[in-house]
Amino acid sequence: MSPSDRIATARAELLKRYETLSNKSDILKSRELKELFSVIPTLEPHERAGFGQSVNALSNELKAMVDSESVAVKELRSIDVTAPFDSNAPKPELLPSEQGSIHPLMAEISRLSEIFSRMGFVIEQSREIDDQYHMFEALNFPKGHPARDDYDTFMTVETDSDGSPLIAPAHTSTMQNRILKKYKSNLESGDAIAAVVPDRVFRNEDVDARHEHTFYQVEGVYVAENVHAGMLIATLQKFLEEYYERTLNVRVNPFYFPFTEPSFEFALSCPFCGGEDPACKVCSGEGWIELLGCGMIHPNVLKAAGIDPNVHTGFAFGCGVDRLVMMKYAIEDVRHFHSAKLDFLKQF
Amino acid sequence: MRVSLNQITEYLDFALPPTDELVGMINRQLGTVEDVTDLSEHFRGAVIVKVDSCEKHPNADKLHVCMVDDGSGDLTQVVCGAPNVKAGMFAVWLKPGATVPSTATDTEPFVLGARELRGVMSNGMLASPKELGLGDSHEGILEIDPDEAKPIGADVVPGVPFADAYGLNDVLIEIENKMFTHRPDLFGQLGVAREIAGIQGKKFISPDWYDIERLSLPGTATDASELTVFNDAGDGAPRFMAQIIRGVTIKPSPIWLQCALIRMGGKPINNVVDATNYIMLLTAQPTHAYDLAKIRGASIGARMAVKGETIRLLNGKTYELDDSDIVVADKEGPIGLAGIMGGGDSEVSNTTTDIVLEVANFDMYSVRKSSMRHGVFTDALTRFNKGQSPYQNPVVLSLLSSLITDISGGVASKQSYDVGDSYDRGYDKLQHDETGTITSEFINRRLGLSLTDEEVAALLSNVEFATDTDETGIDYQVPFWRTDIEQAEDIVEEVGRLYGFDKLPRELPMRSIAPAAENAHLMLKRIARTNLYQAGANEVLTYSFVHKKLLEQAGQDAEHAYKLSNALSPDLQYYRLSLTPSLLDKVHPNIKAGHGEFALFEWNKVHYKGEMDELEPEVPNEDEHIALVIAYDVKHQPKGSPYYSARRYASEVIDTDESELLPMSQFDFARDEWARQLAAPYEPERSVVIVKNDRVRGVIGEFTSSVRAKFKLPEYTAGFELHTDLVTTKAAMYKPLSRFPSVTQDVSIRVDATTHYDALLRVVRETIAEHRGNIDIALEPIGVYEPEGEAFKTTTLRLKMTSHETTLRDQDVKPIVEAIAHEVDAKLHGSVV
Repeated sequence: MSPSDRIATARAELLKRYETLSNKSDILKSRELKELFSVIPTLEPHERAGFGQSVNALSNELKAMVDSESVAVKELRSIDVTAPFDSNAPKPELLPSEQGSIHPLMAEISRLSEIFSRMGFVIEQSREIDDQYHMFEALNFPKGHPARDDYDTFMTVETDSDGSPLIAPAHTSTMQNRILKKYKSNLESGDAIAAVVPDRVFRNEDVDARHEHTFYQVEGVYVAENVHAGMLIATLQKFLEEYYERTLNVRVNPFYFPFTEPSFEFALSCPFCGGEDPACKVCSGEGWIELLGCGMIHPNVLKAAGIDPNVHTGFAFGCGVDRLVMMKYAIEDVRHFHSAKLDFLKQF
Repeated sequence: MRVSLNQITEYLDFALPPTDELVGMINRQLGTVEDVTDLSEHFRGAVIVKVDSCEKHPNADKLHVCMVDDGSGDLTQVVCGAPNVKAGMFAVWLKPGATVPSTATDTEPFVLGARELRGVMSNGMLASPKELGLGDSHEGILEIDPDEAKPIGADVVPGVPFADAYGLNDVLIEIENKMFTHRPDLFGQLGVAREIAGIQGKKFISPDWYDIERLSLPGTATDASELTVFNDAGDGAPRFMAQIIRGVTIKPSPIWLQCALIRMGGKPINNVVDATNYIMLLTAQPTHAYDLAKIRGASIGARMAVKGETIRLLNGKTYELDDSDIVVADKEGPIGLAGIMGGGDSEVSNTTTDIVLEVANFDMYSVRKSSMRHGVFTDALTRFNKGQSPYQNPVVLSLLSSLITDISGGVASKQSYDVGDSYDRGYDKLQHDETGTITSEFINRRLGLSLTDEEVAALLSNVEFATDTDETGIDYQVPFWRTDIEQAEDIVEEVGRLYGFDKLPRELPMRSIAPAAENAHLMLKRIARTNLYQAGANEVLTYSFVHKKLLEQAGQDAEHAYKLSNALSPDLQYYRLSLTPSLLDKVHPNIKAGHGEFALFEWNKVHYKGEMDELEPEVPNEDEHIALVIAYDVKHQPKGSPYYSARRYASEVIDTDESELLPMSQFDFARDEWARQLAAPYEPERSVVIVKNDRVRGVIGEFTSSVRAKFKLPEYTAGFELHTDLVTTKAAMYKPLSRFPSVTQDVSIRVDATTHYDALLRVVRETIAEHRGNIDIALEPIGVYEPEGEAFKTTTLRLKMTSHETTLRDQDVKPIVEAIAHEVDAKLHGSVV
């Protein structure tokens, strides 16, 4: 049998069988088709191309038949979409309420927000695309500054009016300049600017059990007259004590951020073991948990928002939310948060 | 940054506190300590011995049997295979039980014992440089010259621990680099030593060699006949200094220098290269040595690269340059990527006799950009990209050239070269003139302290700020190595840190008790979430970035989506246009995991390229959506079309009765591309779009066959996606209760099967409005019956009628039902049955 005859014979056989199949896609797994493909490498080179094309053509023909079948079968008749329920059917039931769940990150953000709200902070939202002015320049990161390297920032192909790529904010501080401007009038009436921004941020980081490229951060800003660094420490301590419902020790280590001066890394005594358990999984037995970065807002940042740093001073802090939740429930893998796995979600 | 306590002790005139205490202090007042290593642990059991006798091994040609003197008075037998072992030499003996130092950090360190070698007992071994972690040489054992001059350590006599003799009895403290981003001086041991004095309230005095006022600079007039040094890099290289040393001998460094390097994280190579690295580790100023014979055209200097030029660096790789790269070049071309790495062709080798030393200053932004572009990261770059002080170049060059002449022989040229814009900038002056005045009041206000001017001045002068207090406050002069002090707040930081931030008074801010404003939008979000959760739905979070394939599977066009230029993988390349595809993507995995009925919802942001924010036109518009997908597998599938289920869920967050719901099949998307993208996964015959203020704001419906197939959705799947503008909270509308009982009447209306429910409802409502008089009538749909094979359907509505004036009787109700029958007949050709 010549190669082309082989194909013709196989095709006739397959088309006949197709009609009898209940699962039409089985035709694509047929022995005949596999055999034809396996013949290709055994042919003389000059025959190979032509034969191969014919086999592919047959395979595609069958695929198209299967595809059209699946669409045709499921073609949906029109329904009366203006009605509240279907003809001949009861009013649709909701799922049992005990099935529902609120995402643990969102629940925690609500709780954090509620505490800050009681402390007199307004709650603001952040952005998912921003320009480099708000992410960097307004925060005293000059163009090309090495501190920008510490933020592995996602950038877009699209650019802003300066021709710089837009960015996926790597911290919710990207809202700081806007917040300072929005609430500047508070200062004029002798009151404080007090705001927190709990929202989603992004870092260009490979994902593993401890690293996520998408996570949540709560940024806090407080500006008034005579605000000093001791107030920053006291405010965070008070907040954390409220959050963990117990007294805590806190400490600050000097750190460097371009948008605060001085800058600190803030740690709290382990709220889970109180520093008593050398085998504590949360603090690794060290008794301290490094939780967040903070500092006194840099005068250039205040100036960029039109606030005179000689009259008003303030502090800012940024705290990861995912980590708080992971510590609270001993969650072993940060990837669960964005997995949408019901097995995970329904536990909360 | 790795700090060697032995090294910094050299610069301090007081003893360091115990390591734990010191580490605590550094943590609190300098930067986070990441690691502490007791280096002496690695060298435990390594002892200096004198080889007393050395005889050939009776059973092996290449082995010797040595008796070594470890100072104990007894000699110990060690078998040694090194060709250079001989009686009378000093060597390092690794005792039985000792760990081979180079394996100390391995998972399974090599521990020595006493064992027979070809029938002769060997107690431990004599160590090669490689085994001691000093470079790669293992052709022979390390030969120690007991008389060699060394700056630190115990005298070399038999029995002295090797670590004690060469400063390896050291504690290394690793401090997080991030802390030092603004502190170029802290990338050298000297800088850290100064801070460690400062945080302990002790006064630091820089060593004489670092004092630019004491330095007797070699003349800077150049001798053009010997070498031309140029600097054409402008702002790229504020300063370029060079000096020639002739007649050097390239060989391994003295052991003390090799040991000093490994303590500080370097790696011994040869005496000249080691010296350049050592000086960098001490001062933070990178330096480089070139083989003079390999400098073409007797000319060296800094310039911008010419686009298309290439250079082969010391790492053996070749890079193509452009005009934003600063290079060190000779007459023929680039010989180094400035501030990052030297070139492979001008490298110092074993045959080198004359060298050129470079101590230059490069622009931090330019070198950072070059290194990012070429992907080359080095210790030199880490220091240059923090912005080294150009004032320190002369002292560093002076120290480097004297060290090299000490350890390599050779004679330094009398003159050094100093070219660039440094003269215009005044870098040649002995002290730069960054000065300022600050008051303790300014500082106290920001730290909550009550320091006096004198206390502030003392803290600052401990780290070598020159200070002077008078009635106007504290006048200070910034030391030349501090490039970070730009404004008064930087002094506040300095004072706070040196004083101790942990000692600041912790007091809460006082403020007005005016309530903080509620964020109405977030309130709405909380309510919507609670409603859906109470209705059995599960809130999920999915990524803001999606694969192009996901958009396409949902029938969307990636052209409209913002695209990442540096995505981690194609999975995360596009900002999503809507939330529905992300939710659809999570249905099948959950079904597979055994969940037979569920509703997933998410409240998050979406972006449509080209739409800019109304208030901030500089940045993209961000819409917030709430989306839900409900799915039941075959086993759990309820009766009726899934559309109605999704609609029921939508009514938990929006008022479906009051919204304008248009059958999607009747909507013309030509005028709204964004709406088309939103609606793309939905089946037009079984979906509605929701229109508000003439714009599509949402969609409720089932999914197209193609979407069902591509996302492997079960048959009973539907969903909605709504702009959060639509989300409302219903305020209660109270009506006083009636004293009279209500009457309930069901009305069944038969109409053509193609008549839409909303048309029927409209007729009934209008009729009621016209005929109800003073009776309040509430309408509730009870059922729709559509017999199979018939062209009509019967819709049953329940009318609950209430009067506030009288007890309703049949004759009050009847006219209303009759009116409905009449209108239904007239307008819809239907009938009340």
